[in-house]
Amino acid sequence: MRLLVVEDDPDLNRQLVSALTDAGYVVDKANDGEEGHFLGETEPYDAVVLDLGLPGMDGVTVLEKWRRAGRNMPVLILTARDRWSDKVAGFDAGADDYVAKPFFMEEVLARLRALLRRATGHATSELECGPLRVDTRTSRVTVNGTAVKLTSLEYRLLEYLIHHQGRIISRTELVEHLYDQDFDRDSNTIEVFVGRLRRKLGKDMIETVRGLGYRLAAPENAA
Amino acid sequence: MQLRNFRIRDSLALRLIAGAALWSVIALVAGGIILSSIFRHSVETSFDARLEVLLGSLVATTDIDDRKQIVRTRDLNETRFDFAYSGWYWQIAPLAQRLALRSRSLFDQAIDLTGSARAARDVSGASFFDAMGPEDQHLRVVERRLMLPGYDVPVSFAVAADKAEMEGDIQKFNSTVFTAMAGLGLGILVALLIQVRFGLQPLDRVRRALATIRSGRATKLDGKFPAEIEPLAEEINSLLDSNREVLERARTHVGNLAHALKTPLSVLTNEARAHPDAFGDQVTRIAATMREQIDHHLARARVAASANVFGAHTAVGPVLVRLGRALQRIYAERGIEVVAESADGLGFRGEAQDLEEMAGNLLDNACKWAASRVELRAAPLSELRKGRPAFLITVEDDGPGVPEEKRAAVLKRGGRLDETKPGSGLGLSIVTEIAELYGGELRLAASELGGLRAELILPASSE
Repeated sequence: MRLLVVEDDPDLNRQLVSALTDAGYVVDKANDGEEGHFLGETEPYDAVVLDLGLPGMDGVTVLEKWRRAGRNMPVLILTARDRWSDKVAGFDAGADDYVAKPFFMEEVLARLRALLRRATGHATSELECGPLRVDTRTSRVTVNGTAVKLTSLEYRLLEYLIHHQGRIISRTELVEHLYDQDFDRDSNTIEVFVGRLRRKLGKDMIETVRGLGYRLAAPENAA
Repeated sequence: MQLRNFRIRDSLALRLIAGAALWSVIALVAGGIILSSIFRHSVETSFDARLEVLLGSLVATTDIDDRKQIVRTRDLNETRFDFAYSGWYWQIAPLAQRLALRSRSLFDQAIDLTGSARAARDVSGASFFDAMGPEDQHLRVVERRLMLPGYDVPVSFAVAADKAEMEGDIQKFNSTVFTAMAGLGLGILVALLIQVRFGLQPLDRVRRALATIRSGRATKLDGKFPAEIEPLAEEINSLLDSNREVLERARTHVGNLAHALKTPLSVLTNEARAHPDAFGDQVTRIAATMREQIDHHLARARVAASANVFGAHTAVGPVLVRLGRALQRIYAERGIEVVAESADGLGFRGEAQDLEEMAGNLLDNACKWAASRVELRAAPLSELRKGRPAFLITVEDDGPGVPEEKRAAVLKRGGRLDETKPGSGLGLSIVTEIAELYGGELRLAASELGGLRAELILPASSE
């Protein structure tokens, strides 16, 4: 899952990026409204953490521009202004949730997880696909009740696939969502990780659709 | 105009009308009296002149005959002297002797000449005076004393006429004058009303413009006013502007302060949590205290930046719907359904931000406690509150509710019944404070949904 953090305070920006990276997300950052707006409009993020009080272009304007341009990724707004009128302005602009400053990082993480899950149409934090279960809160993965140990990159790939289960996902899309913008997009690491996941979860879980990409589906449906 | 018992000094129009009417009445009455007295004088003068002419004729037609007797040589050319008690009389009497001759109209009476002695005489020796005649007639008498050739004593000639005839003319004239003056007075009053109304029209326009501002349909006094009122209109406009500006500045200031304090506090809190040692714990504790203090004082500052700004008006429906939508998203994770309904055309006589603050806090509180459902409704109140239209916002939830004896404590500043739910304990007390600023009120009751029912009464803006 690839996220964008738009926050002008350098310390808070660093903390957010580090906490989100630790939680297994790929994170791009922007320090002002213009840069944030540009990234959000050009890169395919799964979610955005957006501060409302930004220099240059304020957060509400950035969000409105994204939504007008048809960018509908979930957006979590951070605001120090706790008047209801400010919060409502954020939601009117198209925000999906908000966290009021000062906040604990855990709160941001929990709300982001929920947003990502709801954005892909899942009601709980436990995602299922046949014998496979992924708990997005604890990053725990089981197959038929048996725990499976995954590296962080393997987990990221699986999480993205299970959030979008049943849909064919291209290699390019996976690269865009699993790596930050500086990643060399021609490398064959995705194939390597898909191979490793198949070994750990069972080879029927991830189907290769020739020329199009991969699809995660319960084995009986996969055929 | 309001129907109240106001005194003259309460109304400019009444002042102007009463003042002008007083002077008009005095002038009209004085004019009437002067006209009437001039007319009376001229009627009396001409009456006296007629009597004197008749007296001259009487003297000219009187002679002394050979037997030294006073005789009439010819009748006077006036038939009214022939009818008994007709009101027109003459008599001839030698001084200190019996009456010699009298008109037939006098019959057996005589004209009382005692007033003659006191009356002044004109150059021809005639004296004019009033006397009582037969049948209580008020007579005007002219008398002259003459020495007739061949007669030893002076002879008194007198002609008298009933003044009723003259008085009748005067009476007729007076009533004509009165009618004319009354008509004139009425005309002046109508002209006065029109003039005052026309003259005060700009003030009425100011009053209507202020009412428009109060109802929220305008933000300043529009239009052209006369030179005397223009400065007042400008002052009111600049006062309205500065009110809004001051409030806006205060709000921006509070917002900036919140931003300036809370961002570093976030950094500090999270940095401290990353170091789970004694020092980290201490910083976490201090940061928590700071957070409470900041929340408290910013909340106070927000209330201070709320104000019952003259002329503010907010459409209630859209505000509540937007809030409902925001809360639905905030509590999406718990799957709480937020229903927001408002009667059509409902207006709040106040600032949108203050309405959002009050309704937002109530909704947030309800969502925190609700099991699955929160209902927000707004409807006008049928009865007036403090003489003005009002409306009621109710927020209900299906949570555990608050027992009756504890409701007062919840409304108190910092009052929290459950410390395990997030919140500063400021929400409901802020709602109360802002509501009171607008002359409104917050009440708590039990909801039919099972939880708490908050009732917020606020002033409505008249359409």
